[in-house]
Amino acid sequence: MSRFAFLVATFCFAAATYAQTITFGASVQLTGPVANTGRYYKDAYDFAIDKINAAGGVKVGGAQSKLALKLLDNQSDVNLSVRQYSQLLSQDKVNFLLGPFASNFVLADSSIAEKASVPMVQGGGASDEIYTRGYKFIFGTLPPASDYFGSTIDAMKKLNPPPSSVALLYADDSFDVSVAKGTSALLQKAGIKVALDQRYSSNASDFSVVLVAGHETEVLNFIRQAKGLGVSPKLYSFTVGVPSADFRQALGKDANGASGMTAWLPSASLKDTWFGDAEAFARDWKARFGYDPDYHAAAGVAAVEAFVKAIESAGSTDPAKVRAALAKVSFDSLYGHIAFNDKGQISLPQIMIQIQNDKVVPIFAGTDFINKLEYPLPAWGKR
Amino acid sequence: MQLLLQVLASGVLLGGLYALMALGLALVWGVLNIVNLSHGALIMLGAYATYFMFTGAHIDPFAALPVTAIVLFVIGYAIQRGILNLVIRGPMFNTLLITFGIEVVLTYLAQLWFSADFRAINPTYAGANFAVGGITIPLVQVISFAIAIALTVAMWLFLLHTRIGRGIRASAQNLVAARLYGVDPKRIYAVTFGLGAALAGVAGGLYGTVSQINPYIGGPLTAKSFAIAIIGGLDNPLGVIVGGLCLGIVESLTALYIGPTYRDVASFGILVLVLIVRPSGLLGRTT
Repeated sequence: MSRFAFLVATFCFAAATYAQTITFGASVQLTGPVANTGRYYKDAYDFAIDKINAAGGVKVGGAQSKLALKLLDNQSDVNLSVRQYSQLLSQDKVNFLLGPFASNFVLADSSIAEKASVPMVQGGGASDEIYTRGYKFIFGTLPPASDYFGSTIDAMKKLNPPPSSVALLYADDSFDVSVAKGTSALLQKAGIKVALDQRYSSNASDFSVVLVAGHETEVLNFIRQAKGLGVSPKLYSFTVGVPSADFRQALGKDANGASGMTAWLPSASLKDTWFGDAEAFARDWKARFGYDPDYHAAAGVAAVEAFVKAIESAGSTDPAKVRAALAKVSFDSLYGHIAFNDKGQISLPQIMIQIQNDKVVPIFAGTDFINKLEYPLPAWGKR
Repeated sequence: MQLLLQVLASGVLLGGLYALMALGLALVWGVLNIVNLSHGALIMLGAYATYFMFTGAHIDPFAALPVTAIVLFVIGYAIQRGILNLVIRGPMFNTLLITFGIEVVLTYLAQLWFSADFRAINPTYAGANFAVGGITIPLVQVISFAIAIALTVAMWLFLLHTRIGRGIRASAQNLVAARLYGVDPKRIYAVTFGLGAALAGVAGGLYGTVSQINPYIGGPLTAKSFAIAIIGGLDNPLGVIVGGLCLGIVESLTALYIGPTYRDVASFGILVLVLIVRPSGLLGRTT
């Protein structure tokens, strides 16, 4: 009898301290045309989960739980991505979802999460369209696409000589259309003349400022064709490529002068619970993966951290409770201050950056210039 | 007017490069009756070969083209001799499947070895341009155009006047008669495929100087080469020049007047039109 009681006691004790593994599911572009950015997310999720597990994991209901990741390769195919998220939920029975890269993927995949009432935190989609559907379970660590050129336009207002006209070029997909809509509104408010057409209706070389919202391929071709055709805008800024190392490497010296924006720079002032600060994070990332992280990487890590803080605050892994905790989460991290608005999107200002001497230099944030902007850019032949 | 001329000039230069891309495909298709779905992957490999010679050994990309051609010729010869020869007498569907499989394998090997990072071949003179009557012409594109046209004409002369060329044409017209004349089909087929691959490789190297390289550029380029080969007609090697120029100009004009989104609609629209009105291609025989 006493042996039986002892067995029962041991069993109850074990059950009380049994720590479950919390599994995240994600479908990311590891192969296919956008794999060069998709891999940032795989590395970010792996890195964050390893770091958090090394520090003891997540505290849930009195026990420390480890995190695990089930990652699938969607081959840059949206339809496969949707099927994979369904599989992650129904077959692999993951606890929570992490997002893919790219707004068009997030738009489709988020519907799966919402239908299953499982929270998804994604760091890959910035399009405002993601947050217009009244979804309650989707949170995003990328600030709104409509504001991408915000700091650039604020900087333009302070330039001397002021830009006479702006060409706004954009590709035909959710993210870029979002950017264009928001940017043209901001330009109008700033009183800057805009030529919105994708096509040049008059002298092609007469634009003083060109803003491009497009994919890396188009931006790369734009720069090379501008050089080849002798088109020298005084200022040109892109929504993609400039913060990313492989883009700068592909262009070499031709990347100098290009402006862009990022919501994140590896600054030591961004303190983090697990990584120390953003500067240490960037160093450790480079040591582990062999390339420099950019805001995609930081946004991916922020997604994992947001989940951990929410789970600890909710004290449970119940999807509805964690969802409620995510909506209220507010903490500082290597990515900046993480808090989601009532639509589920983070609000972070974009920092205008420019490539000078092969390095990314922060130019403008808030209301002031941080460093000198190279403007007007000299003609291609004179660089 | 200025803008129209500029766009036409760009279209013509682009068209020359397209013609070279399609030449390899048309050659293999016309002679071996193989629609090589891995053609784009061979273009991609040629682009990478030129890129690595440029960045690794600092060989000027245009000087590296002959080496690229030889490397791709060897690869093409091996693919034909080793793999395609096994299904060449079978239904065409089998060759479609096998070449599709080769395309998938080559693409993912490239992803494994070279990663998905974008590369660009950026020689120091990449931005040089000269003005002709108010139109700006990029130097690199002119050189690519000149090489493309030269190779196409050279291929035409090769097929017409050399022994191997005549052997290739003979095998295409009547294999039994060709064998009676001493043509070894296995060798001729492998040489032809190798030539097609070599042309694809050179086109890839040139493509890398005007656009960017990643493992996935192959698919759309195969489709484009396919369209050009059909538009130009398979019977005459000069047909690809006509097809390429046609496509280059149509794409540039569409991008200007209708919108860049409709470029592919216009390209493939022309293809459908040609298939309806003149199925053997613009330069094909009408019998």
